[in-house]
Amino acid sequence: MTSPARKTERRPGPPEAGDTSTGPEQGEGAPGVEHARVDDAETPGEQTLSFPAIRDDASGAPDSEGSGDRVREVSLPEPVSEGLTAALRQLGEAVTDLHFGLDVPGADEARKAQLAVLAQLKDYVIPRVHMSTAPALIVIAGSTGAGKSTLVNTLAAQSVSATGVRRPTTSTPVLACHPDDHGWFAKGDLLGGLTRLEKPIDGKATESIVVVPTERLPQGVALLDTPDIDSVVEVHSEIAHRMLDAADLWVFVTTASRYADAPSWGLLRLAKERGARLVIVLSRVPIKSREVIVKHFGRMLDEYGLADVERFVINETKVVDGRMTDDDVVDLRMWLADLSVDEQRRAQAIQSTLNGVFNSFRSRVPALARHLETQVALRADLRSDVDAAFMGAIAEIDEATRNGSLLRGEVLARWQDFAGSGDLMRSLSLRKSKAQPQGPERLRALKAALRAGLESVITSSALRASEEVVARWRQRAGAGDRLAATPGLGRPSEELVRRAARAISGWQDHVSELIRTEGVTKRSVAKVVTFDVDSLSLIFMVGLLGYGTTELSPSRKTGSGGALPQRLLRGLLGAESLRSISAKARSDLRARIGLIFDDETLRYVDALDAAGIPDEAAATRLYQATYNLEVAR
Amino acid sequence: MSVTTSTGHGLGSRLAALARVVELGEGRIDPELYAEAAQLLLRAGDRLKLSPDHTVVALAGGTGSGKSSLFNAVSGLELSPIGVRRPTTARTHACVWGLDGAGSLLEWLQIQWRHRFARASALDRGESQLHGLILLDLPDHDSIRALTDTEADRLISVADLVVWVLDPQKYADASIHRRYVAEHAGHDAVTVFVLNQCDKLTPEEQAICIADLEDLLSREGVTRPRVVATSAATGKGVDSLKAVLAESVAARRAAFQRLEADLDRLMVRLAKDMPERLRVEPTIDGARRAGLADALCDAVGVPAVGEAMENVYAVRSVDWVGWPYARWAAKFRPDPLSSLKLGDVKDDIRALVGSAVSAQPAEVDNAVQALADGLAGGMPDVWRDGVRDSARSRADQLPRVLSEELSEIAPPLDRVPGWWWVLKFWQYALVLAFAAGLVWIGAILFYGVFKDGAPPAEIFGDPAALPWLGLMMASVLGLGALTAVASRNGVVLGAGKERDRLESDMRRRVAAVSQDMVVEPVERELHRYNDFYAALSTARR
Repeated sequence: MTSPARKTERRPGPPEAGDTSTGPEQGEGAPGVEHARVDDAETPGEQTLSFPAIRDDASGAPDSEGSGDRVREVSLPEPVSEGLTAALRQLGEAVTDLHFGLDVPGADEARKAQLAVLAQLKDYVIPRVHMSTAPALIVIAGSTGAGKSTLVNTLAAQSVSATGVRRPTTSTPVLACHPDDHGWFAKGDLLGGLTRLEKPIDGKATESIVVVPTERLPQGVALLDTPDIDSVVEVHSEIAHRMLDAADLWVFVTTASRYADAPSWGLLRLAKERGARLVIVLSRVPIKSREVIVKHFGRMLDEYGLADVERFVINETKVVDGRMTDDDVVDLRMWLADLSVDEQRRAQAIQSTLNGVFNSFRSRVPALARHLETQVALRADLRSDVDAAFMGAIAEIDEATRNGSLLRGEVLARWQDFAGSGDLMRSLSLRKSKAQPQGPERLRALKAALRAGLESVITSSALRASEEVVARWRQRAGAGDRLAATPGLGRPSEELVRRAARAISGWQDHVSELIRTEGVTKRSVAKVVTFDVDSLSLIFMVGLLGYGTTELSPSRKTGSGGALPQRLLRGLLGAESLRSISAKARSDLRARIGLIFDDETLRYVDALDAAGIPDEAAATRLYQATYNLEVAR
Repeated sequence: MSVTTSTGHGLGSRLAALARVVELGEGRIDPELYAEAAQLLLRAGDRLKLSPDHTVVALAGGTGSGKSSLFNAVSGLELSPIGVRRPTTARTHACVWGLDGAGSLLEWLQIQWRHRFARASALDRGESQLHGLILLDLPDHDSIRALTDTEADRLISVADLVVWVLDPQKYADASIHRRYVAEHAGHDAVTVFVLNQCDKLTPEEQAICIADLEDLLSREGVTRPRVVATSAATGKGVDSLKAVLAESVAARRAAFQRLEADLDRLMVRLAKDMPERLRVEPTIDGARRAGLADALCDAVGVPAVGEAMENVYAVRSVDWVGWPYARWAAKFRPDPLSSLKLGDVKDDIRALVGSAVSAQPAEVDNAVQALADGLAGGMPDVWRDGVRDSARSRADQLPRVLSEELSEIAPPLDRVPGWWWVLKFWQYALVLAFAAGLVWIGAILFYGVFKDGAPPAEIFGDPAALPWLGLMMASVLGLGALTAVASRNGVVLGAGKERDRLESDMRRRVAAVSQDMVVEPVERELHRYNDFYAALSTARR
């Protein structure tokens, strides 16, 4: 056992397989990690055991014999038990904490897998780790109509589970065990989440289990009859899988007409993946074709890599009162008796299944983590779609305010009006003249036109950006598609126009202020000319946004280059001052638009958040917990 | 698509409507559903062209349920291999009663030659009621082999009548019920359920089994399940199955019923998100058009152009029709701007004023968007996007076209009307007259008052003319000033009138352009919407 202190030295992820004889679980390892050797010829039964202490204790525990209560609570060696319990608790917490918010493809499977891992921890692993030599639970699973209940009844020699021609027949799991073991199963932690019943009750199929004591079953083994895995009643399949997750041995029952069914092979694959101890029963075999069928099925199993699994064949026979004759199951009964007597073999079987479950965590838990990571990645992608779209909108606005497209339509007409009617020249007046510039209405009209123009540039860009976000989200599989359908995301928010108007008038005030405070008139000019700040700031804005060449022109010979407003302003304020005001004004405008767009972006982020934020650290915790479990084993 | 074969029951017209739905719905319905609709249309066309006298019956079911045994029992021959190994049948076998015309149908079903069997001689044995039957023995759909083989799926989806062969072990399997039966609820008329291997059950068990199966089917939406109990091994019930088949074959309607059922199922899914408004007003009303035109006029700045014209004319006319003396006097006033060395600002302003009207792209965009938004209320999102896209289909060119169109009619602001020249000439003539008067006064002073020689004419030497002359010159000055004031008013008045005319001209042009470039594409889309949902409703029946 490795000391728990090692866990901090390593990155989360599957550690090197300490136990190389793990069952066949393929392709799940993280890159770079040499994965467990897959060897089909090696059955789970031959796995080396990592709990030698238990086996020793179990075989040599005389005090447990003969006690009225047959539940033997053999505790693990202290440090191991503590480490393992802590690791399991940590794993349980890490898995419980998972939250898959986005409905991406595979999310449902991941949620199911999460529940399955949790249930298996609670129902089976934790109780089994603490009381490892309690009676073995043999779960009988298979297709509907395969004769599971008939088999259990026959072995138990009494009608413990209902049989019949109705499909599916069994809906509540039925557990049959020796009366001495009854206490353990009636109260124990194994499958602790299920209500114990005396006999099946209609309508209480889920979350309950019938426990029946019977003398005919040997001590130390219990049979669990499960619902089918493949009928129309889908909840049955879930129950059956939950039972299998708690099983120490799997008995898979199929029939002569069923053995090629896809669901059956799905179950066999699961058993293989889990490294569970498996026994296969082929029942309802017509005597005349027994040889052909058994051979064919055997070959299929061999090809599937299940060559060494123990197999039993039951002939098609008359079923009376839900039972076959004892002769039909004599092999199986022998096998059960062996298992009951040979404590070591039983312990070995139990241990190998438990090991298989631990091994399966090594791939199942990282699979959860990987799904979580895809969710986190998808969320990041969706988020970056939003950012990209609005960055594009800002670039578009930048472009529109530089290439002169703003100086069109009404803005152009008002500017022509303002300049052509002489107001432009009148706004500059001789120092001594007290004349106020005439026609403030033209000034106001130009200002309003400029504001309206800028506003429409912003709203139009925001609209495009919103549409682009939705278009991009639609192309993202699963979740993005659904999120894109959130009403209202395809267009800008209601407040956009109001916000834009406020931002622009704020900017216009800011520019006036800049001209007032920083637009120190050249001394040579100040002697002769004074100017009206409002007019000048307006001329400045037209120059900045309509001509957009302010930043470029000063390189040319002063006085000749540039458009009218720039030349005018440069003449009045000086090139240096004009350049600095231009830069400030432009960055201020960009910041204000950025703020508006941040508000817009927030709606998309809210939609993302409403879908549920996957906790990014949870994946790391999962890897950590998996690793710690490996260490503690 | 030629699916208008007279089929009765309106199947032909429904399929024609579906063809229209497919034609109009591209890009407007879920791609998967769209592909399915197109496929159904294709299949219907094919099936209706092929032999209407034959009925294709498929025996489908899980492995080991006894499809092949039943196939052999019905055909009375050992045609399909039966085995105990599972799965047994890997290829579809077909048996035809009455081969005439069945060849192309079998070809269409893609049944291999060596798996086709004919029962031509069956007529002799009193099986004439099965004439026209094509019985298919399908591979299973639920074995591990079926995971990679879609033959069963393919034939189940094209057969006219599907017979589900179930057995007491498997009748409740999810693989049949979830994937096929529940999916095909509504196909009651073309589905038969057979509970085979009933020799393995006692009569009481069989009754329980059938009741349970019927109950299960009705819970899945099969309202009138036809369940036949058979035993291929003992031959029990095979005749009842034959009777059911014979009935379908004789009616020759299974093919239509199957297509109808498929169509119904497809339409249910297509019509799942039917909008509240199945029909929108396909033409854009006057108010909306006017609203669009107004918004576009604002984007061009029509009112501002008018105002600018009025103001600029009034100012510029001073240079032409103003009183020359006032102009000259202004030149002597010191110009503050000259000290700024700004270059020729006046030229700049003149050039600016001379530039043509143009449209602001962002405002044009918003105007078009507003129109689309107003129209698409109550439409599903895809169609709303469609309306928006069609409104924008030519939005890229719209600002340019508007600018060009309006530049044609809006006069440049630096234009000089002819009468300005006349007035300018008149003013200079007055100045000349004033100058001549000055010369005259000088002459009178020279000759008449200082007597410095003989005047060339007596009129230049008569001092008595001086007061009259003075009066005349004052009048000339006064006349100049008066003309200047009057013509200025004339300019303003004229500009006002021209402005009104210009504005209405511009509005007309803008409306015409918007009709061409926005309204018409949008109306086409609205028509498409109406046609689509009309076709959908027809196909739905």
